[in-house]
Amino acid sequence: MSVRPEIDEAIWGARADGVSALERELARLRRSFGAHAKEQGVAVARASVLNLVVFATRDLHAQRAAATIDELATRHPSRAIVIVADRHRSGVAPELEMHCRLPIPGGAQQVSYEQILIRARGDADRRLVSAVIPLLLPDLPVFLWWTETPPLDLVVFEDLIGLADRLIVDSADFARADRTLARLHAVALGGHGRYGITDFNWTRITPWRELVSQFFDVPAWRPFLDRVTGIRVGFAVDADGREIHPSQALLFVGWLASRLGWTAVESLAPSEAGGLLFAMRRADGAEIQVRIRPRFMRGLDEGHLTGLRIQATGDGLNAEFVVKREENSSHATTLVTLGGRGMAQRIVPLGRPGVSELLGEELTIARSDSIYEDALAALVALA
Amino acid sequence: MTTAPPLANPLRAGPRIGRTPQPAALVMFGGTGDLAARKIVPALYNLALQRLLPAAFAVVGAARATLTDEQFRESLHADLVQYSRTKPINEDVWRSFAEHVHYVSTKDGEGYETLRHTLANLDVQLGTNGNRLFYLATPPSAYEPIVDMIKEHRLTENVNARVVVEKPFGHDLESASALSHKLQGVFTEDEIFRIDHYLGKETVQNILVLRFANGIFEPVWNRQYVDHVQITVAESLGIEERAPYYEHAGALRDIVQNHLLQLLALVGMEPPVSFDSKAVRDEKLKVLRAIRPISERDVEANVVRGQYGAGFIDGSPARAYREEDGVSSASATESFVAIRAFIDNWRWEGTPFYLRTGKRLPKRTTEIAIQFRAAPHQVFSREAAEGMEPNALVLRIQPDEGISLKFGAKVPVQGIRIRSVNMDFVYGASFMVDAPDAYETLILDALRGDATLFTRQDEVEQQWRFVDPIARTWSVGQADLPAYPSGSWGPTEADLLIARDGRSWRKP
Repeated sequence: MSVRPEIDEAIWGARADGVSALERELARLRRSFGAHAKEQGVAVARASVLNLVVFATRDLHAQRAAATIDELATRHPSRAIVIVADRHRSGVAPELEMHCRLPIPGGAQQVSYEQILIRARGDADRRLVSAVIPLLLPDLPVFLWWTETPPLDLVVFEDLIGLADRLIVDSADFARADRTLARLHAVALGGHGRYGITDFNWTRITPWRELVSQFFDVPAWRPFLDRVTGIRVGFAVDADGREIHPSQALLFVGWLASRLGWTAVESLAPSEAGGLLFAMRRADGAEIQVRIRPRFMRGLDEGHLTGLRIQATGDGLNAEFVVKREENSSHATTLVTLGGRGMAQRIVPLGRPGVSELLGEELTIARSDSIYEDALAALVALA
Repeated sequence: MTTAPPLANPLRAGPRIGRTPQPAALVMFGGTGDLAARKIVPALYNLALQRLLPAAFAVVGAARATLTDEQFRESLHADLVQYSRTKPINEDVWRSFAEHVHYVSTKDGEGYETLRHTLANLDVQLGTNGNRLFYLATPPSAYEPIVDMIKEHRLTENVNARVVVEKPFGHDLESASALSHKLQGVFTEDEIFRIDHYLGKETVQNILVLRFANGIFEPVWNRQYVDHVQITVAESLGIEERAPYYEHAGALRDIVQNHLLQLLALVGMEPPVSFDSKAVRDEKLKVLRAIRPISERDVEANVVRGQYGAGFIDGSPARAYREEDGVSSASATESFVAIRAFIDNWRWEGTPFYLRTGKRLPKRTTEIAIQFRAAPHQVFSREAAEGMEPNALVLRIQPDEGISLKFGAKVPVQGIRIRSVNMDFVYGASFMVDAPDAYETLILDALRGDATLFTRQDEVEQQWRFVDPIARTWSVGQADLPAYPSGSWGPTEADLLIARDGRSWRKP
């Protein structure tokens, strides 16, 4: 048995095991925080707009989540409960250790919020939810942020999702996106409307979807949307081409397919160097060639979209609609080519929002996104 | 245009996508002017930054000066550097935006012909497809000739055109009606968008959400429970460089006629059946009509005006109104107005609405305070309840947008001692997104054809009907024009106005 790792109290605050000890410690912290702020002549608002429960089995994930919540604190004050569970449980006696702190954000208007760590050791899965329930602030929505692929069959997932109004995941972290995205669809269906799902990868492609939608607001270009013959989507890989994460690209294709009523002709087939090549069928029966290709792009994390091209033919005219991320910049170029003539080129900002910005954006949408679920469903048919 | 309705875009579904307007060309009359530089162009650029502009979008600046497209773009860029709310300027995005910025000199009929060709060209080449938004960003005196020329050169023929007009909408009822009449010679009322930028503010729209998306406020939102309402629009600035306009307008026309009465309407209106442009504006009009008119002989008892004298703002000396550049040393223009108003309807009978606005007040703040009646029976001893005040619900419009509710709470000591505490909702603290600028909201709405946040002709006229008798009384010079020191909350007469009812102004 390895030496029991210490909890870093500089990060997670003082230890206070048990729910009532924790609440006492929080009350004490609030008082001293209030007194301190009074001395400085600033107002403290103890504001809470949501409960955020984070589940991680890696310290790194937990710390990343905690840092994100810190950044968000002034905008989305919350009670955050970060659960870190053992990955390897055998031989460890089940136990819950608790810590709490009030992170102090800067700025003139101080907003206090509360962060609680529950360190679960051994096989503590069955007892976890009993510690979480009394810690949730009443009447506020509960967001469950699962830092890995959600395991439908685990008790602890079932327990925690039972408390949640929304499940947050990042499919960028999923291994084998072509299969795990389909699993996410099962999670969405399992919710029966009790909770919505947020996938940071879905949030990341919102600007791409927006730009593609804008093409077809132009009445003269709209008819091509029903005449698509092919799409190509590129996603970033590392220089060695080893880290293959096509989930954003797949979600994009799934979105187009679900919106436009395309059906699967064949399942996803791997092509060269981690790419995917497959055909789909339009509502009118014509075939669409879909090509998803990895591409190395300097300064871009693996999995992010690098560009896309939609080809269509209508009235004897070939059209191409292109959105292309510029290398080493936070811009994309959009371009339309009609019958070989390029037009309406423009440059638009295309940032790379961090996890805290993505989470912040998600928190403003307090309902499930059926468009995302539709996109997942389209992918299931391809898997 | 009578063609088949455009195909719907199936990609535009879901909660994340949906605010981008149709492709369009925006024609900015007064393109070299102050409003274009300070508000319109920065708003358009920031919309581009947020990817909210359509894929096919062009701006055509129109003014008297002779400029090339390139010169015009350069001058807009310089303005942007100064006035954009986001900095530094994203040069790539600007360059791409500027490629579709054009300039046409409209000093004569030939210029309007050029404008017509430019727009027709854009329709075909860029795909703006006959969607045109004419923005009259000129002094009001230029509205008429521009509208005449738009008509004469058939710029609205066979296209989908709208027009945006800035305040002032006239200077009295007669001129406002004449202006509407003029515009309606070319545009239908549905195509006329009168901007009152206050309505574009996030927190002003939130008044409607607070009132009509919640169940707990509406039941007490009436004469039974509300003692009175105070609406304050305070500015610490003086008139800056606006003397030529302000000397003729004064606070009554500049703020009361539009912003203050609009706020009053939003607070006092009945629930609309839906949040669409007709339902909302119908209800606003109804309550505006119910405001008790203040006739010439009632002015003295219900309205106070004032003019700022010298004083201090933010610790620095500030000069008196009459010493401002461009102001007559005997000027009788008011820079402060306080009004005691009543809404004669079932909901508000007998509940006073105290409105005040002024320049060179101690700070810049806009708020609406709903002051509730005290508890009907005093249960606690007078001593215990000494620190207690009646409940107040305060909607802060700017700065520090938010809502707070004041209520009494027991002080945690032995025995009973009661003190007022605030339950505070800070807008910025609960939502991740920064509130969009009012002009961005309104220009986007105008491009999309949503007129909910714009003022309709009948509203404007009703607002003038209320203000005109007051202005007339003052113009004959009978009423007092007390001076108040810069940096104070207005003249003592304003305090007396409310003190006569046994109440006092809040210190926002």
